[in-house]
Amino acid sequence: MRGFDNRWKDFPDYIIGITKEIWEDRGLATLHDYYAPDIPVRSPASMVIGNQDVIAATMATLAEFPDRTLYGEDVIWSGTPEDGMLSSHRLHSTATHTGDGAYGKATGKRLQYRIIADCHAINNQINDEWLIRDQGAIVRQMGWDPADYARDSIAREGGPENCVQPFTPAIDQPGPYKGRGNDNEWGQKYADILTRIMGADLAVIPAEYDRACQLEYAGGRSGLSHGDADKFWTSLRSSFPNAKFTIEHQIGRDDPMMPPRAAIRWGLHGKHEGWGAFGTPTGAEVYIMGASHAEFGPWGLRREYTLFDETAVWKQIILATGAVE
Amino acid sequence: MTEAFTGFSQRWVDFPDYIIGITKEIWEDRGIATLHDYYADDVVMRFPSGILHGNQTVINGTMATIAEFPDRVLLAEDVIWSGDAETGYLSSHRVRTTGTHTGHGAFGAPTGKQFDIRVIADCAAKSDTIYDEWLVRDYGGMARQLGLDPQQIARDQVGDGTRPFTPADDVDGGYHGTGNTNEWGEKYGDILNRIMAADLAVIPREYDRACHLHHAGARDGLSHADADTYWTALRSSFPSATFAIHHQIGRDDPMMPPRAAIRWSLTGKHDGWGMFGPPTGAPVHVMGISHAEFGPWGLRHETTLYDEVSIWKQIALHTG
Repeated sequence: MRGFDNRWKDFPDYIIGITKEIWEDRGLATLHDYYAPDIPVRSPASMVIGNQDVIAATMATLAEFPDRTLYGEDVIWSGTPEDGMLSSHRLHSTATHTGDGAYGKATGKRLQYRIIADCHAINNQINDEWLIRDQGAIVRQMGWDPADYARDSIAREGGPENCVQPFTPAIDQPGPYKGRGNDNEWGQKYADILTRIMGADLAVIPAEYDRACQLEYAGGRSGLSHGDADKFWTSLRSSFPNAKFTIEHQIGRDDPMMPPRAAIRWGLHGKHEGWGAFGTPTGAEVYIMGASHAEFGPWGLRREYTLFDETAVWKQIILATGAVE
Repeated sequence: MTEAFTGFSQRWVDFPDYIIGITKEIWEDRGIATLHDYYADDVVMRFPSGILHGNQTVINGTMATIAEFPDRVLLAEDVIWSGDAETGYLSSHRVRTTGTHTGHGAFGAPTGKQFDIRVIADCAAKSDTIYDEWLVRDYGGMARQLGLDPQQIARDQVGDGTRPFTPADDVDGGYHGTGNTNEWGEKYGDILNRIMAADLAVIPREYDRACHLHHAGARDGLSHADADTYWTALRSSFPSATFAIHHQIGRDDPMMPPRAAIRWSLTGKHDGWGMFGPPTGAPVHVMGISHAEFGPWGLRHETTLYDEVSIWKQIALHTG
């Protein structure tokens, strides 16, 4: 890997290796080297610039969850060392909520949740990022309802005027990465499946998903078979029936030792004007940043992981309607 | 398909298709009568709970299960197979099955509860017919999900005239294969042998740090620590028992990660502390089946099934 330290044998090894070094081995200071000083980090909850803020946020998280583990389930990537590489890194985390912090008073609860981080790396450094953490799973496991958590976070952050603004394309700041992924057939196939689902062509689910498919969805919800896939996607789409679905980044891979797989980062932008996972339609304008990973097999899509941040969706709804009490 | 698939009806594209197809036809499409054709008249079926002979017994058992769980679905997670037309094909079929307890039966009065468990069936087939079988259902997981205690169910079954399967009860059903020599089966066989020899360091060495585990009792686990916990809880209950691998398949198929299916047993005494309470010295035979998927960072997914109820029953039969 030209431009990278030769202790990494490949790009996934680099991504998994530095994640462990930063978090579990407490090498937070390595972020000065591993992260660019002016890196844009977009998450559904915020738009942050610079590695100094990343270091501060990492410390705050460790103070709240000192025993947090970050298991790398997969790294689905595209690009070249010369032009830069994009890794879509799916993590499975466990943590105990033992410190007071951004989530309020410590609850002592044991948590388990997933994260998908899309990171752009070149010359041994990450300089552009999109990060989706399953906040809905985290707050539910702490005993919150995601809407209540969002309402509470607005108050704790100083009210609607002063609180951290959820990410929307309007506050996006361009970073150095301009790629859109690759043109591998499995990325194309998965993009086609998601586009058809978002076009309400739900018959694509029994046609393309394995009957025994395992599903891991936002909110820490595990599902099984066609019925659960249908339920999840419908409850999301029907809340925002006229919103615009866009595919922001698309990777397909067919690697040795792995089934064919795909990673897609997508957006859903429009009005909350239908019934679904977010209750009574409010007309609020919402942007949803989502990430989906899929593994395919001989009988169709076998495993799917789709994350978005429910608390960031609720925060947008609450801020738009003014229903902050 | 790389290997030849001969002696079966043209309607099946390959051996997994046959296995998945007839399972759906028998259970969900209610073609129970097709068992007269799909199962040999003198089929031998070994369950941890006992051995059955003949397809009429299989038909009766299938009907009883359907009466108890009419909406049961069987989703084929995988078919890991070996063999050929000459020696017979052997499929290790992992099924995820869900349903609602709405009828009377082996679990007593209906509880209205739902279950979601796994079953692995090792079936030997020739000429469209299954003639020899080993089937491990996660009975302990099912009992727990129905709100029942596996040990109590076992105690209630003592005196029902049946006793759990032991090698002494076995009969020759006609299949004599032991699998194949594929490297992934060898690797998984080696891992299990090491774990059973208390070389637990093999877990962090060979399992992916992010591995997913599905073990008997419908326990879902994550990473090295859970693998260590689950395997140790079983082995330490029977520390001096003999571990044997009876059938071992490895496969490296297109569209799939490398994977393995192993049928194993533990035979000996309940002479240690573990998941079965205070040691009783009861003679116990544990029939187990394990499936693994490997990836670039080690073993990524493992399913290990054995029947806790049949183990508790052997203990209860001994302690009286």
